[in-house]
Amino acid sequence: TALPISLSSKRGMSRFSPYVLNGGTIVGVSGDDFALIASDTRLSEGFRIHSRTVPKLYTLTDSTVLGCCGFQGDCLTLNKHLASRLQTYKYAHRKSMSSSAIAQMLSTVLYYKRFFPYYTYNVIAGLDSEGKGAIYSFDPVGSYEREVFRAGGTAANLLQPLLDNQIGFKNQTGVEPEALTKEKAVALIKDVFTAAAERDIYTGDGLVIKIVTGNGVEEETFPLRRD
Amino acid sequence: MSALEYNGSAIVAMMGHECVAIASDKRLGRQAQTLSCDFQKIFQMSDRLFLGLPGLGTDVETVSNRLRFRLNLYKLRENREMKPRTFLNMVSSFLYSHRFGPYFVEPIVAGLEPTTSEPFIASMDLIGCPMITSDFVVGGTASEQLYGMCETLWRPDLEPDDLFEIIAQSLLNAQDRDALSGWGGVVYIVEKDKVTIRHLKARMD
Repeated sequence: TALPISLSSKRGMSRFSPYVLNGGTIVGVSGDDFALIASDTRLSEGFRIHSRTVPKLYTLTDSTVLGCCGFQGDCLTLNKHLASRLQTYKYAHRKSMSSSAIAQMLSTVLYYKRFFPYYTYNVIAGLDSEGKGAIYSFDPVGSYEREVFRAGGTAANLLQPLLDNQIGFKNQTGVEPEALTKEKAVALIKDVFTAAAERDIYTGDGLVIKIVTGNGVEEETFPLRRD
Repeated sequence: MSALEYNGSAIVAMMGHECVAIASDKRLGRQAQTLSCDFQKIFQMSDRLFLGLPGLGTDVETVSNRLRFRLNLYKLRENREMKPRTFLNMVSSFLYSHRFGPYFVEPIVAGLEPTTSEPFIASMDLIGCPMITSDFVVGGTASEQLYGMCETLWRPDLEPDDLFEIIAQSLLNAQDRDALSGWGGVVYIVEKDKVTIRHLKARMD
């Protein structure tokens, strides 16, 4: 977006930035036998909307989905890189990479560019070796951790506390924690994205949810506010 | 490091059925260091009128005192309670009078009309731009977290007991995701015939 001259640097010329924020939000939630990951479908730059139909989810294998948001240029290139590595692994080992191995690999791929990072916030949804749902969340330079749920992207700050409360049962005394079912998780995701679309200008237009189970990857889509 | 993010705060006000609620955390910090877990950020300006002040701690104290002074003079001259809408305008013009050297607070007003007991909530920025809403207002370093919680949990026409649960959960979970807010919580439920103050048990980190 164009800035008035008075707001840019003293010389009157803003320094070239290799990064641009394209917005978007992703949420990953895991259960006993499933993992789901959801993203909005809006691609923005400043106050402009480039597209309303760009999901930020990339199916890597039939048991792993990667959600990637931040700078779209780096998201796309990172995914090309990962797809190539996954194919090489498949030819060398005669099997697909497991979710935990993909997570470890993504960490090293990101850290290789420690001094000129991929500006991406990543969340991986997959199944662990016992078939239980697994979510791995990353920072832009590869620090990662397995978690039960994680929100990433421009509306992350809005959504993470709600996930703590509803899935983690935080600050709720005298409430029996119940296991999370797929149906309840999908309903919760729809609610949180509706809330995010209300208050975050970069989140909206549409919602895509990919659910990883022992039977593969299912996909569901829903509309969101387009304003 | 912005002056509005030096001390840390989380404040929220919500509209209910014939009542309002206003809640805040209790932390006062000096960036990463916590100085107090008992710092007052919500001030009772009148019988059913409350002012929440997120932002720089010294300005929280100064602004609340100066506004109380002006409100008390109004009560003496007019011999009646000030309406919330009028108080909002008074705070707004007070802040704008310091347009080029502002107080680093972003006030939240919550209360009931003196005669009709109609509920009222509003917020404004540090130079006095007012915003009146019919659902909720948030402020402080945990404002994004509060927006997410309130947007999902709030619904219209909540009775005082339900409103307490909703506002308490919104505050607690939002401040737990902000390093500069927390260390306790306090909730004021303002009804026509009474004001209930409850202190919340929270994570003390």
